[in-house]
Amino acid sequence: MPDPVNHPAPSPGSGPAPSPAPGAVNGPVSAPSAGPGAVNGPVSGSVPDPRAELARAQAELLAALVAGGEPPRGFDEGRLRIQAASLISKRRGVVARIRPDLVALLGAAGFAAEFDAYARGRPKPPGGSRVDARDFAERLRAAGHPLPEPAPEPPAGRRRWARFTRALRDLPPVLPTRVKGLGRGWAGRPR
Amino acid sequence: MAAERPAGTARGDDMTGTGRLGVGIGWRPEIDLTVERLPGVDFVEVVAENIRPGDLPESLRVLRGRGLPVIPHGVGLGLGGAEPPDPDRLTHLADCARALDAPLVSEHLAFVRAGGMEAGHLLPVPRTRAALAVVADNVRRAQAALPVPLALENVAALFGWPDDEMTEAEFLGELVETTGVGLLVDVANLYTNQINLGLPAVGALDALPLSELAYVHVAGGHLHHGVWHDTHTARVPGEVLEILAELRARVDPPGVLLEWDGDYPGDDVLEAELGRIREAMARA
Repeated sequence: MPDPVNHPAPSPGSGPAPSPAPGAVNGPVSAPSAGPGAVNGPVSGSVPDPRAELARAQAELLAALVAGGEPPRGFDEGRLRIQAASLISKRRGVVARIRPDLVALLGAAGFAAEFDAYARGRPKPPGGSRVDARDFAERLRAAGHPLPEPAPEPPAGRRRWARFTRALRDLPPVLPTRVKGLGRGWAGRPR
Repeated sequence: MAAERPAGTARGDDMTGTGRLGVGIGWRPEIDLTVERLPGVDFVEVVAENIRPGDLPESLRVLRGRGLPVIPHGVGLGLGGAEPPDPDRLTHLADCARALDAPLVSEHLAFVRAGGMEAGHLLPVPRTRAALAVVADNVRRAQAALPVPLALENVAALFGWPDDEMTEAEFLGELVETTGVGLLVDVANLYTNQINLGLPAVGALDALPLSELAYVHVAGGHLHHGVWHDTHTARVPGEVLEILAELRARVDPPGVLLEWDGDYPGDDVLEAELGRIREAMARA
Protein backbone atom coordinates (compact mmCIF):
# COMPACT_ATOMS: atom_id res chain seq x y z
CA MET A 1 0.00 0.00 0.00
CA PRO A 2 1.16 3.53 -0.57
CA ASP A 3 2.25 5.22 2.62
CA PRO A 4 0.60 8.21 4.12
CA VAL A 5 3.71 10.18 5.00
CA ASN A 6 2.52 13.69 5.49
CA HIS A 7 -0.41 13.35 7.79
CA PRO A 8 -0.39 11.71 11.17
CA ALA A 9 -2.98 9.16 12.03
CA PRO A 10 -5.36 10.43 14.66
CA SER A 11 -5.02 8.26 17.70
CA PRO A 12 -7.92 5.89 18.17
CA GLY A 13 -10.80 7.51 19.92
CA SER A 14 -9.35 10.99 19.48
CA GLY A 15 -12.36 12.53 17.80
CA PRO A 16 -15.82 13.04 19.20
CA ALA A 17 -17.93 9.93 19.54
CA PRO A 18 -19.52 9.25 16.16
CA SER A 19 -23.25 9.33 15.91
CA PRO A 20 -24.43 5.85 15.04
CA ALA A 21 -25.61 5.35 11.49
CA PRO A 22 -28.78 3.38 10.78
CA GLY A 23 -28.12 -0.26 11.44
CA ALA A 24 -25.31 0.45 13.85
CA VAL A 25 -23.29 -2.19 15.65
CA ASN A 26 -22.60 0.16 18.44
CA GLY A 27 -22.60 -0.52 22.09
CA PRO A 28 -23.61 -3.50 24.12
CA VAL A 29 -25.61 -5.95 22.11
CA SER A 30 -28.39 -5.90 24.66
CA ALA A 31 -29.24 -2.30 23.76
CA PRO A 32 -32.88 -2.56 22.68
CA SER A 33 -33.11 0.70 20.73
CA ALA A 34 -30.79 -0.15 17.85
CA GLY A 35 -32.27 0.58 14.44
CA PRO A 36 -33.24 -1.85 11.71
CA GLY A 37 -30.43 -4.04 10.50
CA ALA A 38 -28.48 -3.60 13.72
CA VAL A 39 -26.44 -6.33 15.24
CA ASN A 40 -28.43 -6.31 18.44
CA GLY A 41 -28.01 -9.87 19.50
CA PRO A 42 -25.13 -12.29 19.75
CA VAL A 43 -24.04 -13.15 16.23
CA SER A 44 -22.82 -16.51 17.36
CA GLY A 45 -23.90 -17.95 20.65
CA SER A 46 -20.63 -17.47 22.50
CA VAL A 47 -19.79 -13.93 21.33
CA PRO A 48 -21.65 -11.28 23.27
CA ASP A 49 -20.33 -8.18 21.50
CA PRO A 50 -18.90 -8.45 17.98
CA ARG A 51 -16.96 -5.17 18.21
CA ALA A 52 -15.36 -6.06 21.53
CA GLU A 53 -14.42 -9.53 20.33
CA LEU A 54 -12.94 -8.16 17.08
CA ALA A 55 -11.04 -5.49 19.03
CA ARG A 56 -9.56 -8.11 21.35
CA ALA A 57 -8.52 -10.43 18.50
CA GLN A 58 -7.01 -7.66 16.35
CA ALA A 59 -5.14 -6.09 19.28
CA GLU A 60 -3.69 -9.46 20.28
CA LEU A 61 -2.51 -10.12 16.74
CA LEU A 62 -1.12 -6.62 16.24
CA ALA A 63 0.77 -6.81 19.54
CA ALA A 64 2.44 -9.98 18.27
CA LEU A 65 3.34 -8.24 15.01
CA VAL A 66 4.64 -4.89 16.26
CA ALA A 67 5.05 -4.96 20.05
CA GLY A 68 6.80 -8.22 20.80
CA GLY A 69 3.62 -9.96 22.02
CA GLU A 70 3.02 -13.70 21.99
CA PRO A 71 1.56 -15.03 18.73
CA PRO A 72 -2.16 -15.73 19.21
CA ARG A 73 -3.18 -19.38 19.10
CA GLY A 74 -3.84 -20.99 15.75
CA PHE A 75 -1.76 -18.63 13.58
CA ASP A 76 1.16 -19.77 11.45
CA GLU A 77 3.99 -18.36 13.56
CA GLY A 78 6.47 -18.44 10.70
CA ARG A 79 4.15 -16.27 8.64
CA LEU A 80 3.66 -13.84 11.51
CA ARG A 81 7.44 -13.48 11.78
CA ILE A 82 7.63 -12.72 8.05
CA GLN A 83 4.81 -10.18 8.41
CA ALA A 84 6.51 -8.55 11.41
CA ALA A 85 9.80 -8.24 9.50
CA SER A 86 7.93 -6.88 6.49
CA LEU A 87 6.25 -4.19 8.62
CA ILE A 88 9.63 -3.06 9.96
CA SER A 89 11.11 -3.09 6.47
CA LYS A 90 8.27 -0.91 5.24
CA ARG A 91 8.71 1.55 8.12
CA ARG A 92 12.46 1.62 7.44
CA GLY A 93 11.87 2.42 3.76
CA VAL A 94 9.59 5.34 4.55
CA VAL A 95 11.97 6.73 7.19
CA ALA A 96 14.86 6.40 4.72
CA ARG A 97 12.89 8.54 2.24
CA ILE A 98 12.09 11.15 4.89
CA ARG A 99 15.66 11.26 6.30
CA PRO A 100 18.15 10.39 3.55
CA ASP A 101 20.76 12.18 5.69
CA LEU A 102 20.53 9.34 8.23
CA VAL A 103 21.15 6.74 5.51
CA ALA A 104 24.15 8.77 4.33
CA LEU A 105 25.44 9.02 7.91
CA LEU A 106 25.15 5.33 8.77
CA GLY A 107 25.50 3.68 5.36
CA ALA A 108 22.74 1.44 4.01
CA ALA A 109 23.66 -1.60 6.12
CA GLY A 110 24.23 0.44 9.27
CA PHE A 111 20.95 2.28 8.78
CA ALA A 112 19.07 -1.02 8.38
CA ALA A 113 20.66 -2.55 11.48
CA GLU A 114 20.10 0.55 13.63
CA PHE A 115 16.51 0.95 12.45
CA ASP A 116 15.65 -2.70 13.03
CA ALA A 117 17.06 -2.48 16.55
CA TYR A 118 14.97 0.66 17.15
CA ALA A 119 11.73 -0.71 15.66
CA ARG A 120 11.68 -4.27 16.96
CA GLY A 121 8.98 -4.52 19.62
CA ARG A 122 8.20 -0.79 19.28
CA PRO A 123 4.98 0.02 17.39
CA LYS A 124 4.94 2.81 14.85
CA PRO A 125 4.04 5.97 16.83
CA PRO A 126 0.53 7.40 16.45
CA GLY A 127 1.95 10.52 14.80
CA GLY A 128 2.88 8.57 11.65
CA SER A 129 6.08 8.15 9.69
CA ARG A 130 7.44 11.64 10.36
CA VAL A 131 7.23 11.03 14.09
CA ASP A 132 8.78 7.59 13.54
CA ALA A 133 11.68 9.26 11.72
CA ARG A 134 12.06 11.86 14.46
CA ASP A 135 12.02 9.24 17.24
CA PHE A 136 14.61 7.16 15.39
CA ALA A 137 16.85 10.21 14.93
CA GLU A 138 16.49 11.04 18.63
CA ARG A 139 17.60 7.53 19.50
CA LEU A 140 20.65 7.89 17.25
CA ARG A 141 21.46 11.26 18.76
CA ALA A 142 21.14 9.82 22.28
CA ALA A 143 23.55 7.04 21.25
CA GLY A 144 26.12 9.68 20.34
CA HIS A 145 25.72 9.95 16.57
CA PRO A 146 26.44 13.51 15.38
CA LEU A 147 23.15 14.60 13.78
CA PRO A 148 22.30 18.01 12.36
CA GLU A 149 18.91 19.48 13.21
CA PRO A 150 16.36 18.38 10.58
CA ALA A 151 15.46 21.06 8.06
CA PRO A 152 11.90 22.38 8.36
CA GLU A 153 9.48 21.68 5.51
CA PRO A 154 9.64 24.45 2.87
CA PRO A 155 6.61 26.75 2.69
CA ALA A 156 4.09 26.31 -0.13
CA GLY A 157 5.46 29.22 -2.16
CA ARG A 158 8.92 27.67 -2.28
CA ARG A 159 7.42 24.26 -3.13
CA ARG A 160 5.74 25.82 -6.16
CA TRP A 161 8.99 27.50 -7.22
CA ALA A 162 10.81 24.18 -6.87
CA ARG A 163 8.18 22.56 -9.04
CA PHE A 164 8.57 25.30 -11.65
CA THR A 165 12.34 24.95 -11.81
CA ARG A 166 12.02 21.18 -11.93
CA ALA A 167 9.61 21.51 -14.84
CA LEU A 168 12.15 23.72 -16.68
CA ARG A 169 14.91 21.22 -16.02
CA ASP A 170 12.75 18.40 -17.40
CA LEU A 171 11.97 20.23 -20.65
CA PRO A 172 13.20 18.36 -23.70
CA PRO A 173 15.94 20.21 -25.57
CA VAL A 174 13.71 21.65 -28.28
CA LEU A 175 16.22 24.34 -29.19
CA PRO A 176 19.55 23.47 -30.73
CA THR A 177 22.13 22.84 -28.06
CA ARG A 178 24.75 24.63 -30.12
CA VAL A 179 23.93 27.76 -32.04
CA LYS A 180 26.43 29.21 -34.45
CA GLY A 181 27.97 32.30 -33.01
CA LEU A 182 26.80 31.68 -29.47
CA GLY A 183 29.54 29.31 -28.54
CA ARG A 184 28.52 26.69 -26.03
CA GLY A 185 24.94 25.40 -26.09
CA TRP A 186 22.56 27.14 -23.76
CA ALA A 187 19.15 25.63 -24.27
CA GLY A 188 19.72 21.96 -23.75
CA ARG A 189 20.39 20.04 -20.64
CA PRO A 190 22.37 16.85 -20.18
CA ARG A 191 19.98 13.92 -20.17
CA MET B 1 -10.96 1.13 -23.73
CA ALA B 2 -13.45 2.60 -26.18
CA ALA B 3 -15.50 -0.60 -26.22
CA GLU B 4 -19.03 -0.39 -24.91
CA ARG B 5 -19.82 -2.25 -21.74
CA PRO B 6 -21.61 -5.53 -22.35
CA ALA B 7 -25.30 -4.95 -21.74
CA GLY B 8 -25.37 -7.29 -18.76
CA THR B 9 -22.85 -5.26 -16.81
CA ALA B 10 -24.18 -1.78 -17.48
CA ARG B 11 -25.50 -1.64 -13.93
CA GLY B 12 -21.94 -1.34 -12.66
CA ASP B 13 -21.67 2.20 -13.99
CA ASP B 14 -24.88 3.23 -12.30
CA MET B 15 -24.02 1.57 -9.00
CA THR B 16 -20.52 2.95 -8.72
CA GLY B 17 -21.08 6.23 -10.50
CA THR B 18 -17.68 5.97 -12.12
CA GLY B 19 -18.60 5.91 -15.78
CA ARG B 20 -15.61 5.13 -17.99
CA LEU B 21 -12.26 5.78 -16.37
CA GLY B 22 -9.86 4.12 -18.82
CA VAL B 23 -6.22 3.36 -17.99
CA GLY B 24 -4.58 5.27 -15.16
CA ILE B 25 -1.64 5.52 -12.82
CA GLY B 26 -1.27 6.27 -9.12
CA TRP B 27 -0.26 9.94 -8.78
CA ARG B 28 2.64 10.39 -6.34
CA PRO B 29 4.49 13.66 -5.63
CA GLU B 30 7.77 12.06 -6.73
CA ILE B 31 6.44 11.43 -10.25
CA ASP B 32 4.03 14.35 -10.59
CA LEU B 33 5.58 15.75 -13.78
CA THR B 34 5.94 12.27 -15.24
CA VAL B 35 2.25 11.58 -14.70
CA GLU B 36 1.37 14.92 -16.33
CA ARG B 37 3.35 14.20 -19.51
CA LEU B 38 2.84 10.42 -19.86
CA PRO B 39 0.74 9.70 -22.92
CA GLY B 40 -2.35 7.58 -22.45
CA VAL B 41 -3.16 8.42 -18.82
CA ASP B 42 -6.96 8.64 -18.59
CA PHE B 43 -7.31 8.98 -14.80
CA VAL B 44 -5.25 9.03 -11.60
CA GLU B 45 -5.61 8.12 -7.98
CA VAL B 46 -4.12 10.03 -5.05
CA VAL B 47 -3.48 8.77 -1.52
CA ALA B 48 -6.04 10.79 0.40
CA GLU B 49 -3.98 10.97 3.60
CA ASN B 50 -1.15 12.70 1.72
CA ILE B 51 -3.07 15.73 0.48
CA ARG B 52 -4.83 18.72 1.99
CA PRO B 53 -8.15 19.42 0.26
CA GLY B 54 -7.71 23.17 0.78
CA ASP B 55 -4.19 23.21 -0.67
CA LEU B 56 -4.12 20.66 -3.47
CA PRO B 57 -0.79 19.94 -5.16
CA GLU B 58 -0.35 22.05 -8.28
CA SER B 59 0.02 18.91 -10.38
CA LEU B 60 -3.41 17.61 -9.39
CA ARG B 61 -4.92 20.96 -10.28
CA VAL B 62 -3.25 20.73 -13.69
CA LEU B 63 -4.69 17.25 -14.23
CA ARG B 64 -8.15 18.29 -13.05
CA GLY B 65 -7.91 21.27 -15.39
CA ARG B 66 -7.52 18.82 -18.26
CA GLY B 67 -10.64 17.01 -17.09
CA LEU B 68 -8.87 13.90 -15.79
CA PRO B 69 -10.77 12.13 -13.01
CA VAL B 70 -8.76 12.04 -9.74
CA ILE B 71 -9.86 9.40 -7.23
CA PRO B 72 -8.99 9.84 -3.53
CA HIS B 73 -7.68 6.50 -2.28
CA GLY B 74 -7.75 6.11 1.51
CA VAL B 75 -5.25 3.91 3.32
CA GLY B 76 -5.87 4.83 6.93
CA LEU B 77 -9.60 4.51 7.60
CA GLY B 78 -9.37 0.90 8.72
CA LEU B 79 -12.89 -0.13 7.75
CA GLY B 80 -12.02 -3.68 8.76
CA GLY B 81 -11.24 -2.55 12.30
CA ALA B 82 -13.24 -2.98 15.47
CA GLU B 83 -13.75 0.76 15.96
CA PRO B 84 -16.27 2.69 13.88
CA PRO B 85 -14.42 4.78 11.27
CA ASP B 86 -12.95 7.95 12.75
CA PRO B 87 -15.22 10.96 11.97
CA ASP B 88 -12.22 13.24 11.30
CA ARG B 89 -10.80 10.80 8.78
CA LEU B 90 -14.20 10.45 7.11
CA THR B 91 -14.52 14.24 6.89
CA HIS B 92 -11.06 14.43 5.31
CA LEU B 93 -11.97 11.80 2.73
CA ALA B 94 -15.25 13.56 1.96
CA ASP B 95 -13.44 16.91 1.62
CA CYS B 96 -10.91 15.32 -0.75
CA ALA B 97 -13.74 13.97 -2.90
CA ARG B 98 -15.37 17.40 -3.07
CA ALA B 99 -12.12 19.29 -3.72
CA LEU B 100 -11.25 16.94 -6.58
CA ASP B 101 -14.82 16.61 -7.83
CA ALA B 102 -14.13 12.88 -7.69
CA PRO B 103 -16.54 10.32 -9.13
CA LEU B 104 -15.90 7.99 -6.17
CA VAL B 105 -13.48 7.26 -3.35
CA SER B 106 -11.82 3.96 -2.51
CA GLU B 107 -10.54 2.24 0.62
CA HIS B 108 -9.58 -1.27 1.72
CA LEU B 109 -11.06 -4.31 3.38
CA ALA B 110 -8.40 -4.20 6.10
CA PHE B 111 -7.61 -3.14 9.63
CA VAL B 112 -4.72 -0.76 10.24
CA ARG B 113 -4.78 -0.19 14.00
CA ALA B 114 -5.90 -1.95 17.14
CA GLY B 115 -5.34 -1.68 20.87
CA GLY B 116 -3.82 1.79 20.45
CA MET B 117 -1.18 0.51 18.02
CA GLU B 118 -0.70 1.48 14.38
CA ALA B 119 0.12 -1.34 11.96
CA GLY B 120 1.36 1.01 9.23
CA HIS B 121 -0.04 -1.54 6.83
CA LEU B 122 -3.29 -3.04 5.54
CA LEU B 123 -3.83 -6.23 7.53
CA PRO B 124 -6.44 -8.88 6.71
CA VAL B 125 -9.67 -9.06 8.66
CA PRO B 126 -10.87 -12.28 10.30
CA ARG B 127 -13.51 -13.43 7.86
CA THR B 128 -16.19 -14.58 10.26
CA ARG B 129 -19.92 -13.81 10.33
CA ALA B 130 -19.41 -11.78 13.50
CA ALA B 131 -16.66 -9.67 11.92
CA LEU B 132 -18.77 -9.24 8.77
CA ALA B 133 -21.52 -7.55 10.80
CA VAL B 134 -19.00 -5.09 12.26
CA VAL B 135 -17.34 -4.31 8.92
CA ALA B 136 -20.70 -3.89 7.16
CA ASP B 137 -21.69 -1.39 9.83
CA ASN B 138 -18.38 0.46 9.38
CA VAL B 139 -18.97 0.60 5.63
CA ARG B 140 -22.49 1.99 6.09
CA ARG B 141 -21.15 4.70 8.39
CA ALA B 142 -18.54 5.63 5.79
CA GLN B 143 -21.10 5.69 3.00
CA ALA B 144 -23.33 7.96 5.08
CA ALA B 145 -20.46 10.44 5.52
CA LEU B 146 -19.24 10.49 1.90
CA PRO B 147 -20.70 12.60 -0.91
CA VAL B 148 -19.80 10.00 -3.57
CA PRO B 149 -19.88 6.18 -3.85
CA LEU B 150 -17.28 4.11 -1.99
CA ALA B 151 -15.37 1.15 -3.44
CA LEU B 152 -13.52 -1.40 -1.31
CA GLU B 153 -10.28 -3.10 -2.29
CA ASN B 154 -9.15 -6.67 -1.58
CA VAL B 155 -5.75 -6.79 0.17
CA ALA B 156 -2.52 -8.75 -0.18
CA ALA B 157 -1.92 -11.02 2.80
CA LEU B 158 1.05 -12.88 4.19
CA PHE B 159 -1.05 -14.88 6.66
CA GLY B 160 -4.64 -15.96 7.27
CA TRP B 161 -6.77 -16.01 10.41
CA PRO B 162 -7.31 -19.48 11.86
CA ASP B 163 -11.05 -18.95 12.31
CA ASP B 164 -11.84 -17.73 8.78
CA GLU B 165 -15.28 -18.94 7.69
CA MET B 166 -15.27 -17.34 4.23
CA THR B 167 -12.85 -16.52 1.45
CA GLU B 168 -12.06 -12.83 0.92
CA ALA B 169 -14.14 -12.92 -2.28
CA GLU B 170 -17.14 -14.31 -0.39
CA PHE B 171 -16.67 -11.74 2.39
CA LEU B 172 -16.52 -8.89 -0.14
CA GLY B 173 -19.52 -10.36 -1.93
CA GLU B 174 -21.52 -10.24 1.32
CA LEU B 175 -20.44 -6.63 1.90
CA VAL B 176 -21.49 -5.63 -1.62
CA GLU B 177 -24.81 -7.40 -1.13
CA THR B 178 -25.63 -5.84 2.23
CA THR B 179 -24.18 -2.32 1.81
CA GLY B 180 -24.11 -1.66 -1.93
CA VAL B 181 -20.40 -0.79 -1.71
CA GLY B 182 -18.46 -0.96 -4.99
CA LEU B 183 -15.45 -3.17 -5.71
CA LEU B 184 -11.86 -2.20 -6.38
CA VAL B 185 -10.22 -5.45 -7.44
CA ASP B 186 -6.44 -5.49 -7.08
CA VAL B 187 -5.26 -8.32 -9.34
CA ALA B 188 -1.72 -8.08 -7.91
CA ASN B 189 -3.16 -8.75 -4.47
CA LEU B 190 -5.02 -11.77 -5.84
CA TYR B 191 -1.70 -12.98 -7.23
CA THR B 192 0.01 -12.33 -3.88
CA ASN B 193 -2.57 -14.44 -2.06
CA GLN B 194 -2.24 -17.17 -4.67
CA ILE B 195 1.53 -17.38 -4.13
CA ASN B 196 1.55 -16.88 -0.36
CA LEU B 197 -1.64 -18.58 0.74
CA GLY B 198 -2.42 -20.95 -2.13
CA LEU B 199 -5.72 -19.19 -2.89
CA PRO B 200 -6.44 -19.44 -6.64
CA ALA B 201 -6.80 -15.95 -8.16
CA VAL B 202 -9.14 -17.12 -10.90
CA GLY B 203 -11.34 -18.75 -8.28
CA ALA B 204 -11.57 -15.39 -6.52
CA LEU B 205 -12.56 -13.71 -9.80
CA ASP B 206 -15.35 -16.28 -10.19
CA ALA B 207 -16.63 -15.60 -6.67
CA LEU B 208 -16.48 -11.78 -6.70
CA PRO B 209 -19.58 -9.80 -7.76
CA LEU B 210 -17.77 -8.25 -10.75
CA SER B 211 -20.91 -6.45 -11.92
CA GLU B 212 -20.19 -3.99 -9.08
CA LEU B 213 -16.59 -3.41 -10.21
CA ALA B 214 -15.52 0.24 -9.98
CA TYR B 215 -11.94 -0.20 -11.18
CA VAL B 216 -8.88 -2.43 -11.01
CA HIS B 217 -5.39 -2.12 -9.50
CA VAL B 218 -2.29 -3.63 -11.12
CA ALA B 219 1.21 -3.61 -9.60
CA GLY B 220 4.54 -5.39 -9.42
CA GLY B 221 6.43 -6.83 -6.47
CA HIS B 222 9.27 -9.11 -5.44
CA LEU B 223 9.63 -12.78 -4.61
CA HIS B 224 11.75 -13.27 -1.48
CA HIS B 225 12.39 -16.79 -0.12
CA GLY B 226 9.24 -18.09 -1.80
CA VAL B 227 7.04 -15.28 -0.43
CA TRP B 228 5.62 -12.63 -2.76
CA HIS B 229 5.95 -9.07 -1.43
CA ASP B 230 3.53 -6.66 -3.09
CA THR B 231 5.96 -3.72 -3.07
CA HIS B 232 4.66 -1.67 -6.03
CA THR B 233 8.30 -1.01 -6.95
CA ALA B 234 8.82 -3.28 -9.97
CA ARG B 235 7.40 -4.11 -13.36
CA VAL B 236 4.13 -6.00 -13.37
CA PRO B 237 4.82 -9.75 -13.71
CA GLY B 238 3.22 -11.55 -16.63
CA GLU B 239 1.21 -13.69 -14.21
CA VAL B 240 -0.55 -10.60 -12.83
CA LEU B 241 -1.37 -9.44 -16.37
CA GLU B 242 -2.80 -12.90 -17.05
CA ILE B 243 -5.14 -12.47 -14.07
CA LEU B 244 -6.10 -9.07 -15.51
CA ALA B 245 -6.89 -10.74 -18.84
CA GLU B 246 -8.96 -13.36 -16.97
CA LEU B 247 -10.87 -10.56 -15.27
CA ARG B 248 -11.37 -8.83 -18.63
CA ALA B 249 -12.80 -12.06 -20.02
CA ARG B 250 -15.52 -11.84 -17.34
CA VAL B 251 -16.27 -8.12 -17.25
CA ASP B 252 -15.24 -4.90 -19.01
CA PRO B 253 -13.72 -2.94 -16.11
CA PRO B 254 -14.55 0.79 -16.05
CA GLY B 255 -10.89 1.50 -15.25
CA VAL B 256 -7.48 -0.12 -14.69
CA LEU B 257 -4.77 1.66 -12.69
CA LEU B 258 -1.05 0.99 -12.31
CA GLU B 259 0.37 1.44 -8.80
CA TRP B 260 4.07 2.31 -8.44
CA ASP B 261 5.31 3.45 -5.03
CA GLY B 262 9.07 3.79 -4.92
CA ASP B 263 12.30 3.07 -6.84
CA TYR B 264 10.67 5.08 -9.60
CA PRO B 265 11.84 4.18 -13.09
CA GLY B 266 12.08 6.45 -16.13
CA ASP B 267 9.04 7.68 -18.01
CA ASP B 268 9.65 5.10 -20.73
CA VAL B 269 9.25 2.19 -18.30
CA LEU B 270 5.98 3.53 -16.89
CA GLU B 271 4.70 4.20 -20.39
CA ALA B 272 5.60 0.64 -21.39
CA GLU B 273 3.79 -0.73 -18.33
CA LEU B 274 0.62 1.15 -19.29
CA GLY B 275 1.02 -0.35 -22.76
CA ARG B 276 1.31 -3.86 -21.31
CA ILE B 277 -1.89 -3.27 -19.33
CA ARG B 278 -3.70 -2.20 -22.51
CA GLU B 279 -2.33 -5.24 -24.32
CA ALA B 280 -3.57 -7.59 -21.58
CA MET B 281 -7.00 -5.96 -21.74
CA ALA B 282 -7.13 -6.47 -25.50
CA ARG B 283 -6.17 -10.15 -25.13
CA ALA B 284 -9.54 -11.22 -23.78
